[in-house]
Amino acid sequence: MIMVIDVGNLNIALGVYDGYKLISSWKLATNPQLASDEIGTLIYKFFEFDEIDPKKLEQIIISSVVPNIMYSLTHGLRKYFGINPMIVKHGMNTEIKINMDNPKELGANRIVNLTSAYHFYGKSCPVMVIDYSTATTFDVIDEKGVFITGITAPGINICAEALYSRAAQLPKIEIKRPESVYCRNMVECIQAGIYYSHLGGTRYIINRIKKELGARNLKVIATGGMARVIAEKNSIFNVCDPYLSFKGLRLIYEMNYHDAYLWEDE
Amino acid sequence: MLLVIDVGNTNIVMGLYENGILQATWRMSTRDEKTSDETGIAIYSFFKGENKNIKDTTGVIIGSVVPNIMYSLIHGIKKYIGIDPIVVTADMPLGIKILRDNPRECGVDRVVNVIAAKEKYGTPAIVIDYGTANTFDVINEKSEFVTGFITAGIKICADELYKKAAQIPKVELISPETLIAKTTVDSLQAGIVASKIGETIEIINTLKRELNIPDAKVIATGGLANIIDPDCDIFDVYDPVLTLDGLKIIYEEYFKDR
Repeated sequence: MIMVIDVGNLNIALGVYDGYKLISSWKLATNPQLASDEIGTLIYKFFEFDEIDPKKLEQIIISSVVPNIMYSLTHGLRKYFGINPMIVKHGMNTEIKINMDNPKELGANRIVNLTSAYHFYGKSCPVMVIDYSTATTFDVIDEKGVFITGITAPGINICAEALYSRAAQLPKIEIKRPESVYCRNMVECIQAGIYYSHLGGTRYIINRIKKELGARNLKVIATGGMARVIAEKNSIFNVCDPYLSFKGLRLIYEMNYHDAYLWEDE
Repeated sequence: MLLVIDVGNTNIVMGLYENGILQATWRMSTRDEKTSDETGIAIYSFFKGENKNIKDTTGVIIGSVVPNIMYSLIHGIKKYIGIDPIVVTADMPLGIKILRDNPRECGVDRVVNVIAAKEKYGTPAIVIDYGTANTFDVINEKSEFVTGFITAGIKICADELYKKAAQIPKVELISPETLIAKTTVDSLQAGIVASKIGETIEIINTLKRELNIPDAKVIATGGLANIIDPDCDIFDVYDPVLTLDGLKIIYEEYFKDR
């Protein structure tokens, strides 16, 4: 059994793989103020509740974009699971090639997503991964797994929060696809605005990158919490895969421990 | 002379009109803590800077979306200009019909914008104001304020991203020449602005298609509009003084000879 952990700015997503099957997953809020014991015991309790034996855990692999929480997280895992977790970083085998001036600028979560996308969806065509997270990121690799471009835009929730906190008369809203373009009140005006804004931003960035690269066969894979909201009723993505990062973490673990044997899914 | 005041969440923009012509514009930051005296003396200084006599003002009209500063603003004007300002509200009869459940809760800035667009450019019109929020509003041939969308402005989205994401630096906001980016700075510059360009295009297309107004004129205003469409390929008109003119139009039509 392997535990995969994806630490984002807003949430920590955890998953447990038994062989190649995801048997459990949980989400925690990312709170850098938590101490090792708090995080450790909390995760341990998830195992207890789901009746998974922590002693069967062979390894833990983490990707993180939040340096501040890493001390507590790794120490908590060491103490309560007896495992020194693997941390995704540049230089690991991933099948993709990051040819940037400063490769360290590409966040670990993006390496994980690209590794996953290349393995499961790419190789015969260029692939774009769109991750709807704190930021909405668009990353592209070619058929050979070479990194071409990465775009970072403010995420959907970020924009909604910005509006709520900076504009005096505007309320908090639930993010969803509007039923009609006829907005009869403030909430509907904002819901429609935020929705079409992110649909449009996505569409424009995909199309412009396709054009600049001359890549009409670009495969677009979306992941992240809000991907489904954007995907619904719009044929804008080729694939919507909420488990892309989990699969990527599992893969990177394999690639760095079992050289010859690579996991083929579905 | 007519002083018009557009109070937004980030800035207060003022315009001075003489014989219907805009003579000067001024910007002040919108701050809750400012007292009537601080506000009043600032306005007085603006007048002095343009060699205009503040006492020559015959009317003051305000459109505001920030309730908290109104007390200081109104009292500052009363004290330093000696005039009771007119405060525009969305439920005043202004020649348009607002198609909402509760017209009164519609932001005054948007009402003023669509009135200005109608007078200056005709209907149907899609009015986009790039400010603290980006507002997209539609006025049809029947002078009905049909619908509108509100999204977060370019700058506040960027600011919130810096606040909430650990590894992201602040970048200058300019229209990206390319979306091929291999550094964090390029990635952000491209992403922040491209997402807003895409927002504009999608919303204009959606409104034109769903409301069946393919020939609607697209009028943009607001300080940040230039970042989105510097060459005016997307907008039909860029009018930086749209809101100020709207306030002037409302004053001359409904309040001048009161």
